Amino acid sequence: MKKIKNTVSVVLFAAILLGVSAACLLKPADAFSDAERRALAQMPEWSAQSVINGEFMEGFESYSADQFPARDALRSFKAWWTNTVFQKKDNNGLFIAEGHISKLDEPENEEMLAHAAERFNFLYESYLKETDAKLYLTIVPDKNYYLAEKNGYPALNYPTFIEKVQEKTEYLQYIPVTDLLSADDYYTTDTHWKQENITDVAKHLLDTMGVPTQKGDYTVNRLEKPFYGVYTGQLARKTKPDTIAYLTSDTLDACTVTYYDTGKPVVGELYNMEKAGGKDPYEMFLSGSAPLLTIENPSVTEKRELVLFRDSFGSSIAPLLAEGYSKITVVDIRYIQSSFVGNFVDFDSCEDVLFLYSTSLLNNSLALR
Amino acid sequence: MLFSSIPFLYYFLPCVLILYFIVPKALKNTVLLISSLVFYAWGEPKYVFLMIATVLCGYVLGLLIERYRGRTASKGFMLLSVVAFLGALGYFKYADFFIENFSKATGVSVPLLQLALPIGISFYTFQILSYTIDVYRGNVAAQKNPIDLAAYVSLFPQLIAGPIVRYVDVAEQLCVRTHSFEKAALGIRRFLFGLAKKILLANTLGELCDAFMASPDKSVLFYWLYAIAYMLQIYFDFSGYSDMAIGLGKILGFEFLENFNYPFIAKSITDFWRRWHMSLGTWFRDYVYIPMGGNRVRKARLLLNIFTVWFLTGFWHGAEWNFIVWGLYFAVLLLVEKFFLLKQLEKLKGIRHIYVLFFIAISFTIFSANGMGEALSRVGGMFGFGGIPFASAAWLYQLKNYGFILLIAIFAATPLPKKCIAYLQTKKVGAICVNLLEIPVLVCLLLAATAFLADGSFNPFLYFRF
Repeated sequence: MKKIKNTVSVVLFAAILLGVSAACLLKPADAFSDAERRALAQMPEWSAQSVINGEFMEGFESYSADQFPARDALRSFKAWWTNTVFQKKDNNGLFIAEGHISKLDEPENEEMLAHAAERFNFLYESYLKETDAKLYLTIVPDKNYYLAEKNGYPALNYPTFIEKVQEKTEYLQYIPVTDLLSADDYYTTDTHWKQENITDVAKHLLDTMGVPTQKGDYTVNRLEKPFYGVYTGQLARKTKPDTIAYLTSDTLDACTVTYYDTGKPVVGELYNMEKAGGKDPYEMFLSGSAPLLTIENPSVTEKRELVLFRDSFGSSIAPLLAEGYSKITVVDIRYIQSSFVGNFVDFDSCEDVLFLYSTSLLNNSLALR
Repeated sequence: MLFSSIPFLYYFLPCVLILYFIVPKALKNTVLLISSLVFYAWGEPKYVFLMIATVLCGYVLGLLIERYRGRTASKGFMLLSVVAFLGALGYFKYADFFIENFSKATGVSVPLLQLALPIGISFYTFQILSYTIDVYRGNVAAQKNPIDLAAYVSLFPQLIAGPIVRYVDVAEQLCVRTHSFEKAALGIRRFLFGLAKKILLANTLGELCDAFMASPDKSVLFYWLYAIAYMLQIYFDFSGYSDMAIGLGKILGFEFLENFNYPFIAKSITDFWRRWHMSLGTWFRDYVYIPMGGNRVRKARLLLNIFTVWFLTGFWHGAEWNFIVWGLYFAVLLLVEKFFLLKQLEKLKGIRHIYVLFFIAISFTIFSANGMGEALSRVGGMFGFGGIPFASAAWLYQLKNYGFILLIAIFAATPLPKKCIAYLQTKKVGAICVNLLEIPVLVCLLLAATAFLADGSFNPFLYFRF
């Protein structure tokens, strides 16, 4: 019995080692991981220099892990092991509560907060201080605000955090929206909020800014493609997908969107259907990452302009804010230097300026330029 | 290269094993040497030449020591080897420590050398020293074949994080060793258990330690949770590596000595050091403590001997004051036990384990810090200094999050799993189950370890920096 067991052990181990090794060598390299939404490491180029300075080895370590055969299945197995065998409450920093996948909050980062405030202050000092525009700030809480503490997970002290942002941006009138939201207003598999659930938030913002709003009779349209948000891939566990819905109305249909990604104006759509079928369907809202764009609403005949500084949460709410303005200029200073913004935006002609940022971005604001 | 990496497991190891087992016996050490150099160069392309120079130096000096045996020159060559090897270690590992402290003490600013530490230098330096000293003592003959000596020093299974294999223990095996299915199967089992200890337990506990360090919500209980987690992490990290080294050694026909023997069940600190990093402890005993006179000296000299050995043990681990303090801390504890406590501990059966674990937890808190300032602050935190609260939400969450892993780790750190299996094997059905389940369990551990690696949860071995 012992002899047989030893032989089986050796033969099986050799077979696994050689089999997996052969699979590693033969498997063609994938360019992109749909689950993780990131480009995968490729085989590094070999040269005497890259070997001596260790770059080749470093690159190969990443390549071999990224291109490992059946990697997605192994990642799922690891997630299962972590949650089931080890009974861990999170995997890769993500947890499931009330049917939502959520990411554990990073501890409050004073430096990041100061950086965000410094960028806002730069915009204020450079472009806004001398204008007549009314200046507003709204902060979108992460869905952890509604999920974490209640379910026994550590959370950022959101009231203190928001208070600190307010203290650092006293020139902005703060419009609270936390009471208008709940966990169900966010996608279960993604960090973002659902457009169809934030019409009340948009109305509240418009009301506070003194903008007359229309009835807001929207048609809810749903994408057929299931939406697996960014957290699904990170968690590496199969969960029920979301459905992306987008709102249309006669007013929104009449809006013209102009993108300035390349410097030259390009007319586009509020909802980019090509992106709706892409790797991140949330990018359908205002075509995802865009440094600068304008939405012109011919239904508002009286000139009333808004400049919206925003992160990705702004993509889905901007169309709803367009209801009340003749023109909205949407600026994302993650993709355009704050010092260049003045070359493209006329702050003297706008009535309102709204800074709309999520807590997760403010607490990790290095991308703000 | 790390054992717990995909390049090692699925690229390097299969190639080496194929080559090793297809070449004739006469070429096996050459295969081991070449593969060990590749293994080392993978992580340290430049310093591979330093290791080759060390081997050549050891080879020539070993021959000279033997040639002039009985004459003063032999001692001279032995001393030369000690100076040369410790000089290289001192230059690469300790130069900046001395420069920094000299600058602080005198106010004279001397620029730091800022040299990268050659991986495993502390381990292979001690190995080559054991060779030249043992040749001088006549415990072993000088190795005539430079390839065999180089294969010994650079042997990849234990090259970069031990155990410290002394030449005298493997001299014969370098020339003649046997390979069998039984040895290979035992080696595979040991290697896979080591891999699982490292990747599944040590790395996961490492995440808890990282979470503690990143948390602004510290509390007394959180400091203790960290201390326990780190203690277990370093045990599974280092003993896991030793298991992998011993397992690979077995597959390749070697028998390396054990490096750990359930240190956390020790009955005293003295007993702990008989169970923890045994190859380092015996090295210092045989090459420092006993040559200084050992126990059979006057009390004052004994104190000096013990403080010297433990100062060096601490300093061996790193060029920082906290490592020195860590070593001296054990010197004090061992002396207290030697003169007062050891006999009392015999009577305090339950309490002695709590006593050992308490002082070990504090020791590793000092050990894990980056410098003395951090060490003091962490030890202070364990006792509530600095006005920190007794408990915190972060502590409670991490206790819930890692509680089960901690229980698994505590269980796995004791001989209980081994005893359970031994008990089952005394029963007919139990023995059948153990035999049938062993291979599936090993496959499952390899699969899980691979899954963790593919997901990128990856930490280098803690003992790499020594």
